[in-house]
Amino acid sequence: MDLSLTESQEMLKASARELVEREFSKDNLVKKDTNGGFQPSDWKKIADLGWAGLLIPDEFGGEGGSLTDAAVIFHELGRGPVPGPHFSSAVLGTLTVLEGATPEQKMSLLPRLAVGATVVLAPAITESDYGWSASQIQMKAAKRNGSYTLNGAKLFVQDAIGATHILCAARLGSGKIGLFIVDAKTPGVSLRPLPGFTTGVGEVRFDRVIIHESNLLGEGREDGWTILERTLQKAIPILCAYQVGGSEKVFEMSLEYANTRVQFGMVIGRFQRVQDHVIEQVNQLDAARWATYEALWKLDTGQPAAASVHMAKALASEAYYQVCNAAHEVHAGLGIMREYGLYLHTKMSRTLYHYLGDPKFHKRRLTNALEAQGVI
Amino acid sequence: MSKVGCRLTCPSFSPCGRRCRMRGETLWIRCFINAAYRAALILSLLSGARIEDGPSLSCPFTTLERLLFMDFELKFTPELEGFRKKVQDWLKANIPDGMENPADPVDLTLEGYNKQRALGRKMAELGWLYPTYPKEYGGGGLSDDEAIIIETELDRYDQLLPPYYDSGGKLAAATIMVWGTDEQKRAFLPPILTGKVRSWQLLTEPDAGSDLANVKTTAIRDGDHYVVNGQKIFVGSAHGAEWSWMIANTSPNGKRHENLSWFVLPMDLPGVTWTHMDLIFAGNESGALSGYKNTVYLENVRIPAFNLVGGENNGWKVAGTHLELEHGLMQGSLNGDRTLQKVFKVCRDLKREGRHLLEHDDVREELADLYIDSELTRLLHLRNYWMRSAKKPMTYEGPQAYLHMKRAALRTSKSLHKILGPYALTLDKERGLEDGHIEVQQRGGIVAQHPGGTVEIQKVIIARRLGIGRAVKEQAGVLR
Ligand SMILES: Cc1cc2nc3c(=O)[nH]c(=O)nc-3n(C[C@H](O)[C@H](O)[C@H](O)COP(=O)(O)OP(=O)(O)OC[C@H]3O[C@@H](n4cnc5c(N)ncnc54)[C@H](O)[C@@H]3O)c2cc1C
Repeated sequence: MDLSLTESQEMLKASARELVEREFSKDNLVKKDTNGGFQPSDWKKIADLGWAGLLIPDEFGGEGGSLTDAAVIFHELGRGPVPGPHFSSAVLGTLTVLEGATPEQKMSLLPRLAVGATVVLAPAITESDYGWSASQIQMKAAKRNGSYTLNGAKLFVQDAIGATHILCAARLGSGKIGLFIVDAKTPGVSLRPLPGFTTGVGEVRFDRVIIHESNLLGEGREDGWTILERTLQKAIPILCAYQVGGSEKVFEMSLEYANTRVQFGMVIGRFQRVQDHVIEQVNQLDAARWATYEALWKLDTGQPAAASVHMAKALASEAYYQVCNAAHEVHAGLGIMREYGLYLHTKMSRTLYHYLGDPKFHKRRLTNALEAQGVI
Repeated sequence: MSKVGCRLTCPSFSPCGRRCRMRGETLWIRCFINAAYRAALILSLLSGARIEDGPSLSCPFTTLERLLFMDFELKFTPELEGFRKKVQDWLKANIPDGMENPADPVDLTLEGYNKQRALGRKMAELGWLYPTYPKEYGGGGLSDDEAIIIETELDRYDQLLPPYYDSGGKLAAATIMVWGTDEQKRAFLPPILTGKVRSWQLLTEPDAGSDLANVKTTAIRDGDHYVVNGQKIFVGSAHGAEWSWMIANTSPNGKRHENLSWFVLPMDLPGVTWTHMDLIFAGNESGALSGYKNTVYLENVRIPAFNLVGGENNGWKVAGTHLELEHGLMQGSLNGDRTLQKVFKVCRDLKREGRHLLEHDDVREELADLYIDSELTRLLHLRNYWMRSAKKPMTYEGPQAYLHMKRAALRTSKSLHKILGPYALTLDKERGLEDGHIEVQQRGGIVAQHPGGTVEIQKVIIARRLGIGRAVKEQAGVLR
């Protein structure tokens, strides 16, 4: 047994940390947040390091990295927390293409995804009946003369703003779900951000958008939801790593503050009530951390991982949320000042809490998985 | 006020004027713990006999009921119901159109704010702005019951009492009532209580948050004035205020707790400036619209010495009164929770997996939790209100209610998020819920943890008042 990262993962981690500290410092992110969010030039900085294609095999111009490699980077991005389409495009979008596309579709998409600068693929799944069950996909795709017409709205889509392409889930005539690759500039497609205590969320509307059938992922041979479910098993732990990175950073901020802020003539970390908050943070953090990395290990080594994946997402969502709450207790007034930047994590923790399923959803899935494995 | 109206406040005093012998503390307790004695009392009452120590027969019905049951219901006499009618009619005629109550108080326009101030002044003419303060100081000289009626009726218009955030009336005036000289009461109270001026409270500094006694803003005597220098933070609220109520250090080399004093500070004095703070939410202190929080800079500000309240370097004792109020006693109305009503509505309307949220078991569990938290808030306030008006000695109850509210606020945020997912987080006009009130609660739940003392500080006070781990229980600050 050895729970340490490999040498090359340590290198990835170091360069990711360096990038985050240099380009996405807290002050910088606070400024970006008030000035309209993540910019395409920021995405380029990440893509230039080859990370847009990290999970793409060499044959398509990618790095051919493992899921754990990607997680190491996302852990560091989570420490920012660096917003932007890196998860949507380089992980969820990319893995969906790898899982479900025809060879021709792969040839046309993956090399461009791998360089990042030209293609950003944002999955647009959820609708007004919000949730991560197949039954909640109601948008229709009607087929006529080799084309599909998409009509409807996708809600709470991550990173759609700024994406060049949208991966849209819609019901085919057969009742199956199809996944469509839609160029964001196609007539009838409109995007708008949804403001609030959240990050990177938008609404995508499809108003009689006509898409050539060659843009249906895998030519519709397989139910799109099956492709997506398979993809999510791999993608979710990488999102968890991002949540773990965020939790880790927020824990460090709190510990440092507890050791420097003086009230009543002593550092507040001397008060047991403040200690309780920080202890809660480290407990939450470590639970999420090790569950996440074990799930990744199982996936990378080809073991059955469903139960681990669901457990990881339940724990990581909970951890990031609670670690931020505890940080607000520790920082009191300072923590709610925007310039201090804690709120960037807080709203990210809220955003990711339900993204790809909230803890309750994953706990139910966990029980299902245990049942399927004969554990229950 | 007649016998029915005194039911809430009986047995410790009897506003009906008839001396109710139930006020004998020992008797009351005995009655309740000793059922046999109670039965005997009732029997003797029914037979019309007078018994020693017994309740006054002039009030038999009330007394009887009181002996048999506790009473959680606020009941009002016909006279009080008449007063309610008067308030209703007046509000109907006088609440101006277009009163604003934005989800985020920061969005309150100057126009909307001025409407609130104007309404406040009009109410003051009838003694309704600060109903329970003495008339001679600009208050209404009214009873607690009447104040509750005014507050409840305003609540129907989504307005609070007072209709604008005013720490001057809620905190400063109450403290000045205890610590001010007669001259100071005559000078400072009428402008506040008639709504002529509104005040901020200037307590917190960069190095003095929980540790308020550590304030470094200095106020040094110079002839008939004090010269003030320093910086205050987290000072409410939008659209300025005429006065402030400030704690400062009057003896920089003095001993801790013996170096502080309180001042009434007119904000138009030269040397007072402020800037808005950029916060994730500025908070709704006790539900009152508070708008922005500010950093206030004080540079060689000359305050007349007359404005020092409670004696030089006696400020920590004065703070005892102020903080007692802030730690829970000024918080909370007895009116229901509006957010909860909005949540119920959303759960009736919005669908998940094709079924209304209300039809999902997990949602129903969360709703039950939300309801319980909101009911406990109401009950703890009801209890505190009863204790105050019945002049029961209070110790930990204020901070206990406040602690509950703070905890409940954060739990509510999470429950709403669990029920509504990303809908809870957006204030988008089309997709957001209830005009942004749900999204604001997500930020507000976090921010509610800190004002008026953090969660930890409430616990510190509760522990001291209960005497956990100490021989002598700490006493509450002096109240009017
Ligand atoms: C919305 C809002 C409105 C406000 N309004 C006003 C206002 O109108 N006027 C005004 O003057 N101030 C106002 N404040 C300031 C508020 O009173 C302070 O923020 C609060 O008292 C905490 O101080 P602090 O932020 O400096 O935190 P700190 O005191 O630095 O606390 C940091 C952490 O240490 C803990 N801690 C400190 N001492 C102890 C102890 N002895 N035991 C255990 N734990 C301890 C705290 O609980 C907290 O977890 C407001 C604050 C907010 C958020």
